[in-house]
Amino acid sequence: MKRIFLIGIFALLTLTVVLIWSKSYYAEQEEAYVELPAETEIHLIPSEMGVFERASFANDYEAIGNDFKGGRSLDTYYENRAFHGAPPSIPHPITDELSMGDKSCLKCHENGGFVAKFNSYTPVVPHPEKVNCRQCHVAQNTTSLFKETSAGGFPKPSIGNAEFIGSPPIIPHQIQLHENCLACHAGPSAPKEIRVTHPERTNCRQCHVVNNKGMTDIGVFIRKK
Amino acid sequence: MEQKIIDRRSFIKKMAALAAMTAAASMFPGIIFGYEQEAGIPKGGNIDWKKGPCRFCGVGCGILVGVENGKAVAVKGDPNSEVNKGLLCVKGYHQTICIQAKDRLTHALVKKNGSYVKTPIKEALDIVAKKMKQTIEKHGKDSVAMYTSGQSTIPEGYVASKFMKGAIGTNNLDCNARLCMASAVTGFLTSFGADEPMGCYEDIDYADYFVTWGNNMAEMHPVLFSRMLEQKNNRGAKIIDFATRTTRSSMASNKSILFEPQTDLAVANAICYEIINNGWVNKSFVEKHCRFSKGKIKMGYGLEDNYNFKDEPQSIDFESFKKFLKDYTPEKVSKYSKVSVKDIKYLANIYGNPNNKVVSFWCMGMNQHTRGTWMNNLVYNIHLLTGKISIPGNGPFSLTGQPSACGTAREVGTFTHKLPKGVVTEEKDRKLAAKIWKVPYERIPSKPTYHATEMFRAVDRGEIKFIWIQATNPLVSLPKTSRYRPALKKDSCFVVVSDVFPTPTSDVADVILPASWHIEKGGLYGNSERRTQYWKKMVEGPGDSMPDAWMFIEVAKRMGYGKLFPYTRENHVEEIYNEYRQFHVGPKHEMAPLDVLEKQSGVIWPYVNGKSTQWRFNAKYDPACKNGEDFHFYGNDDGKAVIWQRPFEPAPEMPDKDYPFWLNTGRVIEHWHTGSMTRRIPVLHKAMPHSYVELHPEDAKKYGIANGQKVKVSSRRGSCTLPASINERGLPTRGQVFVPFFDENMLINDVTLDAFCPISKEPDYKKCAVKIEKA
Amino acid sequence: MPIKSYILHFEEGKKEIVLKELHNLQNCEVIPAQNQNVLVVVTATDTEELDNNIYNQILEIEGLKHLSLVSGFDTN
Repeated sequence: MKRIFLIGIFALLTLTVVLIWSKSYYAEQEEAYVELPAETEIHLIPSEMGVFERASFANDYEAIGNDFKGGRSLDTYYENRAFHGAPPSIPHPITDELSMGDKSCLKCHENGGFVAKFNSYTPVVPHPEKVNCRQCHVAQNTTSLFKETSAGGFPKPSIGNAEFIGSPPIIPHQIQLHENCLACHAGPSAPKEIRVTHPERTNCRQCHVVNNKGMTDIGVFIRKK
Repeated sequence: MEQKIIDRRSFIKKMAALAAMTAAASMFPGIIFGYEQEAGIPKGGNIDWKKGPCRFCGVGCGILVGVENGKAVAVKGDPNSEVNKGLLCVKGYHQTICIQAKDRLTHALVKKNGSYVKTPIKEALDIVAKKMKQTIEKHGKDSVAMYTSGQSTIPEGYVASKFMKGAIGTNNLDCNARLCMASAVTGFLTSFGADEPMGCYEDIDYADYFVTWGNNMAEMHPVLFSRMLEQKNNRGAKIIDFATRTTRSSMASNKSILFEPQTDLAVANAICYEIINNGWVNKSFVEKHCRFSKGKIKMGYGLEDNYNFKDEPQSIDFESFKKFLKDYTPEKVSKYSKVSVKDIKYLANIYGNPNNKVVSFWCMGMNQHTRGTWMNNLVYNIHLLTGKISIPGNGPFSLTGQPSACGTAREVGTFTHKLPKGVVTEEKDRKLAAKIWKVPYERIPSKPTYHATEMFRAVDRGEIKFIWIQATNPLVSLPKTSRYRPALKKDSCFVVVSDVFPTPTSDVADVILPASWHIEKGGLYGNSERRTQYWKKMVEGPGDSMPDAWMFIEVAKRMGYGKLFPYTRENHVEEIYNEYRQFHVGPKHEMAPLDVLEKQSGVIWPYVNGKSTQWRFNAKYDPACKNGEDFHFYGNDDGKAVIWQRPFEPAPEMPDKDYPFWLNTGRVIEHWHTGSMTRRIPVLHKAMPHSYVELHPEDAKKYGIANGQKVKVSSRRGSCTLPASINERGLPTRGQVFVPFFDENMLINDVTLDAFCPISKEPDYKKCAVKIEKA
Repeated sequence: MPIKSYILHFEEGKKEIVLKELHNLQNCEVIPAQNQNVLVVVTATDTEELDNNIYNQILEIEGLKHLSLVSGFDTN
């Protein structure tokens, strides 16, 4: 009995050895492979970065429809900025003077929405990744001037600049820091003159191109031989 | 200064109008000025909207051209077109503006003593015919050649083929589609025995996943990309961008996977390995409908003149295919493709999961590839192994770059080896062509001669003494133009160029013929999804301009072949199409009759029993399937599709110590091909006034190059100086530069390599080695 | 070079006639409202005299009820 028991144990041990050995043998056969950490690639192109950013809201914008009443007009849009592309000043009281680099402003300005207190829709920021908002956006604490100036009345990008009847208007303004078209051209806070009739298309620059690559008018293509 | 005053006045006018509108709004709350958004648009009077296809890419959008008082004054998308459903891209909307360019070719120009002399078109055609005839008499039929285009209409391509092969009796006819679609053709022929995609654009509406292989669709096929984005937003379909460079498409996609140039071959094989290894093979589909083959390897790259290659297919079995794939485990491939194992498995999983509907899209990334045919085969392998083919929402889809690369170059066959049906090497195909053309069958030679690159090499060698270039601009678009520009300038070759605008190619011509633009003539185009579209002449062309087909006919008549071309000037488009249709009788390729094409916004062939065939080879949709099974790949005699064993082979020229960068070339959304049309459209020119070289920011930093600074890009063949573009339109990987090729003032094709796929003879514009330095 | 904008009120049903007359005038732009009997008219002329002329011409249009000046600029 005892002998059978010992033989049994021995057989078990042999079996284990064979098993372990074979397992390690096969493990050895496998090609050693260590996944290398992927090279840090910049997967974003700054000038193109925001292009599709708000595309996920496109269907909601579409649902709002074209005959949506209310919202801003271009007039009020330009009321609190010096010229197109200048950072708009903050037209409302600010909750916390010390909030810097956090999401205080983004709470409302990331996605917009109606604010009963001001009876208006919150404008959507086209560059939510820049959180040091008040680097550029300042409050207006007085209406008087230090000295009189002749500045003002800067030209504004024109609307309705299509080449043809029904052809897509060109983009009449520079787009640095506002690459994301839908932020200003769709949704309830979009000025009604420039609100797009087809926000669901999302790939805006398929049809609308920027025409101010140079600082001066580059004219038409003339062959240089 | 004057400009400024006008601007100021118009600005004040707008302010004044705005003030009045605001005042009105305070008096009548809720007042609507309906034209607020459209202020400044010219008032539309009696505009007549005429239907046609877009002039530009192979998507083949339907357009409506607004014609008022004999002038094209507007363009809009055709809402009845199933392709674009009323939407166009920025090029499409502004296309007709180009014909008003001041340097439009309106009269024939004949070079006399080194300068061009305005000549009546009849005299110019006399000169062309006389010269062509003399050359044939003196040097034989094979000393004359014709190089046409995937932008030629179906009748133009048909007449060119009949003229060269049927009347003169030479196969010296090739076209620029050799530079863009040849690998797609050989891919289809080797895998399925029948050219052109099995599916259609409607696949987009059903697919769960779109995998784009080296294809920046957001810029190159924007209207289709829009349809994909719509599905992404509405149904949650996913877009996977598999590319060598980060682009607008990458950013709109759900996932962007970057790979090292040329390793797409290995990654595709790794996907097949994973599919087989994980048991995702659709066994019954593969057993019933597929067989396995291998071909020659180490084929070379066609860099030497008179290079010749013939593949020798050999049957293999599934087991040896499986064994071959052992070299392509994700782990092994990951090491040189720079695609992580995880990403390879992710891709394989998308294809392998039987519940996913997957469409693969590709265009030049896979076709302009020294192993382009193989690459096309490999993607078909993936779809065949999983049975994801010829089913709505499932299928490989090869896109085209030219409006009629399918309709004209591939279907009519303006390649050296092709006939309107079949190939010149097949006796029965030659007999059919001879019968319809009413020429003796012995006249059509049975041996193909020069493909595009070799044709221009033959010009350089002095073998071709007369060449007629039509609707294309090879001295911007050929690879290694640094060799072919001096070649065409040689006195040994008489060069005739027919075009709408002067180009660097017309600059070297002996005779320049003024061609009618798109809407100044009627015609037919065939797009990527086998859709044939017909349009009628919409406006009159200027001066002596003439439709290309009619130029061929006039010259043929002058050479004594008048009997073969009994067409009338007014109705030649219709007469030629009706003659051409006879070639494709039968359910495999039946073309729709003209009266149907006139009513509908395009019809997909085979058009059988009054219906388009949207999914070929699928018995449910395709009446040509005859084997009683669900699928029938009737292009091959045994009814089976071929799964090809195609290995990874390196590119002919790779970055090294002296030339450390990959050079990739391509397009931008604003310009189409060599820009001869789009650059003459002010909106597009202002949006993209010149070419540039895209650099990775780290590379730029290393070389101390700032955005906009001039950079000299040089290879062993030539160099080109362009402004740097960093972090603008696209972002190449480190060690790679990208240059758009549209700019005739910055000829990047002086730098590229004329290596080509030995099977398709299509050059690779996407890979060669260059160095960069501050200029 | 005076530029002026007006609100023009017209009689019910006379919109087409008024529009046609206005389109015939030179140096004059019209923006009609869709849901009210009101038009916005902008005139841009080179001299004071021409400006007076066009003002009088607009006043003579048949169907005009009332014309009120909203803003005026002189670009010199």
